[in-house]
Amino acid sequence: MDKDRAVGDEKYICRCEEVTEAEIREAIKAGARSVVEIKRWTRAGMGICQGRSCRRLVERILADELKLKPEEIELSSFRQPVRPVSIKAMDE
Amino acid sequence: MTEHRCDVAILGAGVNGCSIAYELSKRGKKVILIDKVVLGAGASGSCDDMILLQSKKPGILLEMAFKSLDLFEGLKTELLSDIEFETRGGTILIEDEEHLSIMEEFVASQNRYGLEVEIIDRKRLVELQPLVAEDIIASTYSARDSQVNPMLLMKAFLLGAKQKGLRYISRTTPVAIEQLASGWKLLLDTGDVVEAEVLVNAAGAWANDITKLVDFQVPITPRKGQVIVTEAIPPLGETNVWSAQYIVSKLKPQEAVKTSAGESAPTQTPAERFGLGFAFTGTHNGNYLIGSTRENRGFDKSTDPEAIALLSAQVERFFPVMSKINFIRTFAGLRPSTPDGMPFLGEIPGAPGFFIAAGHEGDGIALSPITGLVMADLVTGKKPIFPMEAFEPGRFGGKAGL
Repeated sequence: MDKDRAVGDEKYICRCEEVTEAEIREAIKAGARSVVEIKRWTRAGMGICQGRSCRRLVERILADELKLKPEEIELSSFRQPVRPVSIKAMDE
Repeated sequence: MTEHRCDVAILGAGVNGCSIAYELSKRGKKVILIDKVVLGAGASGSCDDMILLQSKKPGILLEMAFKSLDLFEGLKTELLSDIEFETRGGTILIEDEEHLSIMEEFVASQNRYGLEVEIIDRKRLVELQPLVAEDIIASTYSARDSQVNPMLLMKAFLLGAKQKGLRYISRTTPVAIEQLASGWKLLLDTGDVVEAEVLVNAAGAWANDITKLVDFQVPITPRKGQVIVTEAIPPLGETNVWSAQYIVSKLKPQEAVKTSAGESAPTQTPAERFGLGFAFTGTHNGNYLIGSTRENRGFDKSTDPEAIALLSAQVERFFPVMSKINFIRTFAGLRPSTPDGMPFLGEIPGAPGFFIAAGHEGDGIALSPITGLVMADLVTGKKPIFPMEAFEPGRFGGKAGL
């Protein structure tokens, strides 16, 4: 994480749901302390890839804002089916 | 150890706890909102987005839902952030003549209560839902059914209340509650202490964990609903959709009770075992939510492939085009259900200043604005705009079982 970047930077962290770094930092300032809270507040991680791209980035922003080590961040939940599955496939 | 003092301490940061916190903060009360986990960690963050008038039993809950809908119109502009409130209307699909006659009777009783809902024929249904299965014979239609994003609603209530001085404390719960000469004292599991004039228990399916601390119980049990989330797709049609079967299952809770784990009769079909009903709604973002089951499985929040397969088959049955669509996520929520389908809203007998607002089952989002209003009235000693007798916390004798 480049700490010199100003808040308000339009850098996309969750590309599926188009959530910027500034929005994630704002959620943390409003009280979010975990990936799951950021997900619910900003939709980061709720898109087609289910957070496979952005989860680690979100964890690093959390660590940065909360002055914690990445391993001290609360573990996030994973929801079935992890990768997209067709509705027809479930029916067979 | 930190000691906090406030006018009102609310336990449970779900949609109703947040709504009560917002309303009381607006009235100048100093509020502390406490959640065992985080904002929306229970049913309020694991549900769909519908404000469905058509599913309410004609009676006080329907009247309160009407009032809630008016309040949502105001909240839409009053709250500081968008809540994605929309009124798209709702349709309940009717598969056969038997369901048609049941729904005709139900619609007539709703009309008598002032709900604008009608039965429409297949031709009109297809105008609203062009991709509906060919053998659906008719549908209900109400232009008033609406939707709102529950997470954004909770966030907006919370931020609005924070602006008026609310303190939000996550990840803690009381381990003891003491009555003081004036008010209540909470000992939290962090060692911190909260002193409040008034307590409000809005802990949903977990409400009994709180009331137990003052030797009072309410029969609230967790009812699990599993939901599928699809990838974002263009809208299939105009309205939100349910099946008549869903309404029957919701109106006759005793049928769902039979599906409790461990006592399933061998004659039950898998759909009956899971309390399957069809609820289908397109979110603001384009993801469709496909629900839902109604199961009594304690506090188990897992999703299982058998239920997901049933939900998949069901959506293909009503909307064959959905077989081509991917789903990206599944989740389950625990709705706080009560034996008579009514929430507990009021003061706990023998515990002056200790209120409860829990047990809305699947109506929590829809009824949150009116719940905030009536609870703020009760807390501040005003007479609520609705008669509260049906919601008495002591109506089951202060016990968890029947």
